[in-house]
Amino acid sequence: MAGSCRGDVVSGAFTMSRRSLLGATAVLAVPGILRASQPLRLGITPVFLDNDVTILAALQQALSSSLGADVQFLQRRTYEEVTGLLLEGSVDAAWLCGYPYLQHQDRMQIVAVPVWNGQPLYQSYLIVHESDPAEALEDLRHGVHAFSDPDSNSGFLVTASDLAQMGERPEGFFSQAIFTYGHRNVVRAVAEGLVRSGSVDGYVWESLAAVEPELVARTRIVTRSEWLGFPPFCARAEDGDDPHVQNLRNSLITLDTTEAGRAALRALLLDGMTRGGPELFDGIGLRMTSLAALR
Amino acid sequence: MSVLVRVPFVARVPLVAALLMVVMGVIASQQVLLALNRVQDERIRELANLHVEALSVALGPYVLRQDVWEVYDTLTRASGQGGGRRIAFTAVAGMDGVVLAATDPARAPIGADIAALAEGAALPSELTILPDDRLLRLNAPLIYQGREVGQLVTELVVTDLLSNRLAAGRLLIFGNAVATLILALAGYFATRRMLRPVQSLTHHMGASGDSPVPFEPGEIPSGDNELSRLFHIYNRMVAAVGEKNQAERRLAERERFVSLGRLSSSLAHEINNPLGGLMTAADTIREYADRPEVVRQSADLLTRGLEHLGDVARATLDMNRLDRQDQPLTPEDVQDLRILIGPELRRRAQKLGWNISAGAKALSGLPAAPVRQVMLNLLLNASAVAGQEGHVGLSVTEEGAVLRITVEDSGPGLTSEARRRLMSDEALPPGGGLGLRLVHDLVEEYGGAIEVARLEGRTLISAQLPLQETAEGGDA
Repeated sequence: MAGSCRGDVVSGAFTMSRRSLLGATAVLAVPGILRASQPLRLGITPVFLDNDVTILAALQQALSSSLGADVQFLQRRTYEEVTGLLLEGSVDAAWLCGYPYLQHQDRMQIVAVPVWNGQPLYQSYLIVHESDPAEALEDLRHGVHAFSDPDSNSGFLVTASDLAQMGERPEGFFSQAIFTYGHRNVVRAVAEGLVRSGSVDGYVWESLAAVEPELVARTRIVTRSEWLGFPPFCARAEDGDDPHVQNLRNSLITLDTTEAGRAALRALLLDGMTRGGPELFDGIGLRMTSLAALR
Repeated sequence: MSVLVRVPFVARVPLVAALLMVVMGVIASQQVLLALNRVQDERIRELANLHVEALSVALGPYVLRQDVWEVYDTLTRASGQGGGRRIAFTAVAGMDGVVLAATDPARAPIGADIAALAEGAALPSELTILPDDRLLRLNAPLIYQGREVGQLVTELVVTDLLSNRLAAGRLLIFGNAVATLILALAGYFATRRMLRPVQSLTHHMGASGDSPVPFEPGEIPSGDNELSRLFHIYNRMVAAVGEKNQAERRLAERERFVSLGRLSSSLAHEINNPLGGLMTAADTIREYADRPEVVRQSADLLTRGLEHLGDVARATLDMNRLDRQDQPLTPEDVQDLRILIGPELRRRAQKLGWNISAGAKALSGLPAAPVRQVMLNLLLNASAVAGQEGHVGLSVTEEGAVLRITVEDSGPGLTSEARRRLMSDEALPPGGGLGLRLVHDLVEEYGGAIEVARLEGRTLISAQLPLQETAEGGDA
C-alpha cells in the first residue's frame, strides 16, 4: 500500500515495445524464451505502513501467480523518481498518484484504479496535533507544515491549491514547509510535534488508524478535501494495449477472485481494483489549474 | 597532639602507626577514586566522540540539504536504538545556528536558535562528569566530508556511570576501611610487641624505688640492638646504684667512728691527766703505809680517779656498743654526752649550757644510738665553731609529741657549705666532714625536721624528732 502511487505493469510475456526501446537486439532474437522468464517491473514509492514488506510481498505473490511471471518492485523515494523510471522505460508500470499522472497524461495510460470503501476515490486530510485548536487552514498561518511529496495530490496539491484560492503560497503562508516523502511520516511529524500541521492521504490516515491507532489518535483532522481519484496504476501510453499491459490490468482487476489476491487486498485495506478512466481525476485537474493560476 | 602526649609512650607509638595506616588508606582511596573519575571522563568523552561522529556521518547529507524530516527521522531512530538510553536529547542546526530538528520538538522546535540550547555545553573532548550531573550537555560541530556543515547539542545520560562510580566508591571505601583496620591493628600490635621491652624497662624502673632490681639474663632482648644495649646499661646502672648505697652505708659507719676518733686525743688526756695524780696517790700510800689517815686519803683519791676513768670508759663504750643499737634513749645517755664532750670544751676553755627538761618517759620514745649520734655531732660541731672561751649549749625539751634537741654556739653562724650539708639532700662534694650530713640523714630517717636560727649572736640548730609510742621507758 502505500502511499499513493503505484506503478503498473508487466512484462513477462509481451513486452516488445519496451524491449525495442531498450534496443536489445539479442533479446529480439529470442523473444519467446525471454518473455517467459522476463520479470514484470513495478515502480513504487515508499509506502506508508511499517509492515510495507509484508504488504508488498502479498501483492507480489498475488500478481506473480496471476501473471505466471516474476514481479519485481522498484522502490524510489519520490514520485518524481518513479515517474522518471516509468517514462524512461526502466519499469513496465508504476503505482503513481493522480497528480503526476495528470502532469504526464499525454505519455501515460491508466491500467487500473484501486477501489476503497466501494469507490475509486479518496480524500486529502489537513491534520494537526490533537491538542491544536486550529479549525481551518487559515488558523495554521506561520506554523511549520509537513507535506509528503511535491508531486503528491493529497500530500501537497490539495493544500497548495487551497492556499492558491486564498492567494497564498505555502512558503509564504507557513513559516516553513518540509517534505517527508511519506504519508506516514506526515502523521508522525504532526503527532510528535515536529510540525504544527500536515497534508496527508485520507486513505493512509484511515488505514493507519486501524493499524497504529495510538499514533493517529495524537492527530486531529481539521479539514477534508472533496473526493478525488484514487492513486492509479499507470503504464506508458505508447505501450497501448500491449499484452503486458493487458495482463497486468486483468490481474489487478481480478485480484478479488483469487485467494492470494484477496489476501493482498486485505493487507492493503482495499476492496478491489477497477478499470477506471481519466475522468476520475478531473477534480485533481481543477486543483492543478487553480495552483497554476497563482504561479 | 596534646591528647596523644598524655597517652603512654608504648601505647602512643602503636596508635601513631595505626593512625598513619589510616591516613595511608584514605590517601590510597582518594587516589583510586580520582583514577576512576579520570577513566570515566575518558570513557564519556570517547562515547561522546563516537556519538558525534556517528551522527555526523548519518546526518551530514541531510543537514547539508536542510532536509528536516530526514534529520528528525535519523535522530529519533538513533535515540530509539542502542544509544537511546545514553542519549537523552539531541538537537541539530545548520551553519546558520537555526535548529533543523531535535529529538524533542517541543523543547527545540524547528527554527529555534541552537545557542540557547548550547548554554553550559562542553566540547566532547572537555566533558567531565560531576557528582550532581544526571545529564552531560555537549556541543559539537557536525563535520561531513571534511567540512563543517552544522552543529549539534546533545545531552548524555550519565546516571549509570555515576551509580557505577558511587558503587565503586562505596566498595573501595569499604574494602579500604577493612584493609586499613587490619593494617592499623597489625601495626598497633606489631609496634606494641616491639615496644614491650621498653614497657618492661619502665615497669622495672618505676617499681624499683630505692633498690632497683636488675633484669635476669632471660629477660634481656636478644641481639645487639639499641634495646638490648639499653637493658645492659640499665643493669650496669642498677649495679652502680647498689655499690653506691653500700659505699654510703660504709661511709656512715665510718663517720660514727670518726666522731669518736676526734674525741680520742681528748679522751687520752682525760685518762692521762688523772694518771699522774693516781700514781702520786699510789706512791703516797707506799711511802706512808703506816699513816692510816694518809692511806685513806690517798685511797679516796684513787677511788675518785678510777671512778672518773670508769665513767669515761663506759661512755665511750656505750657510744659504740652494738647490743644497745635498738635500746630506747635514757637520761643517762644524755648525761654521757657531757663526759664525752667535756675534754673538747675544756681544751678550748668553753662554757657549756645544759638544759635537759625532757623526762625519761619522753626520751624512751626514741632509739638511743641515732639520737646520741645527732646530739654528739651537733655538740662537736658547735664546739668546733664556738672558738676559744666560746659558749656551747644543749637543750632537750619535750613539745607535745615532739622531742626538740637544740644546740647553740657563739660561733659566726653556719657557712653555706655547712648549711647545705645539714639541710639538703644534695650530693656532697668530695672532702670535708660528714658529721652534719649524718645528722641530716638520721633526722630524716626518723621523720624529723631541722631548723637553723641565728639569735643574739648565737647559732641555734634544732632537730625535732617525733616521739613514738613505745613500751615504758628504757632500762632505767
